[in-house]
Amino acid sequence: METMTVREELRAWILERSGAAPERLSTDDQPILDEGLLSSLDVVEFILFIESLREEEVDIENIEPEVFTNIDTLVEAFFPDEHDGLTP
Amino acid sequence: MSTSAELAPRLSDASVRKLWDVYSFFDWDASIDPDAGWCMLPELVSIFGTEVWEGLSESEQKRLSFYEIVNLFSFVLQGERPLISGLMDRMYRKNTQGAITEYLHHFVDEENKHMIMFSEFCNRYAGKIYTEKKIVLPREYAKGEEDISFFCKVLIVEELGDFYNLAMMTNDTIHPLVAQINKIHHVDEARHLSFGREFLSELATEHCGDWSAEETRTFQTWLVEYLKSSWGDFYNPAVYKDAGLTDGYKVRTMALGHPTCLAFREQVSEKLVNYFLDVGLLSERPPL
Repeated sequence: METMTVREELRAWILERSGAAPERLSTDDQPILDEGLLSSLDVVEFILFIESLREEEVDIENIEPEVFTNIDTLVEAFFPDEHDGLTP
Repeated sequence: MSTSAELAPRLSDASVRKLWDVYSFFDWDASIDPDAGWCMLPELVSIFGTEVWEGLSESEQKRLSFYEIVNLFSFVLQGERPLISGLMDRMYRKNTQGAITEYLHHFVDEENKHMIMFSEFCNRYAGKIYTEKKIVLPREYAKGEEDISFFCKVLIVEELGDFYNLAMMTNDTIHPLVAQINKIHHVDEARHLSFGREFLSELATEHCGDWSAEETRTFQTWLVEYLKSSWGDFYNPAVYKDAGLTDGYKVRTMALGHPTCLAFREQVSEKLVNYFLDVGLLSERPPL
């Protein structure tokens, strides 16, 4: 079985949770919250998923809502080692 | 049936009669060995009845029950933080001045004591309070919706917590200090719930009829999601990890989808959901 990248994992989770069509998130700079793909209550669940990928807790007091803008900002905030600064 | 304004003076009198001191009420020197006794009734543990639960030894189950009580106390404590802030914000308004505001002072005082009590237990025996993962995003409200949402949140944290309090407060299977905390919390919460149910019902009567179909749908969607999200806090991957279970997130996902756990959530939520249906805040029974 192929291993998914962090970006693919995040995209798959958001699309499954929101039930949105894949084209709503076809690039990593497409908005997540502004487009209503996730609600503030979905974000709670999303953070737990991110923690499971990181294998480390997220310090909620040190993150701003802007972190959830798109997949690029998520990777930059939570998976800095994966961040290459490029949007596919 | 009394209005909230008629209820408030009676509740204030009861709060004065039952005043207690959080600093002297408990014997915090009591010792707790997480592996040796039950801190939460087994049937209340989040994964009770699942294959994962059955695969644990009794001492492992007891250790999990310890971290689950720490999680329950953390859940209520984290819910009481915005509760106190919101209650203070609603004092001395036109619709709360007089007897209601006097009772809100007791409400805040009691919630503050509960937070001290829960934090002392969690920090002393587990060395931690479990954090919540909520992020508040700005949103627009229909007229009256912000107050209604606030009192719905209050009711959800208090009703769910009270189910556990009632089940454990007189049960001699669990650690006596845990039973004692559950009992004092229930005694105060009974008054808070009585007030909150009535006040929320009055707010719903005043505002919900003026909402458009779209506003009603948006609110009801939020309420169902908030209730589900609150239940999500009971299946905490950090708790499973602390109790020694491997892959806490996987255990959480399993439990949230397990029919036994779903039946338990429906049972615990029944009174709360019936109330929301009765006062018109929900129009159908939600999936949990």
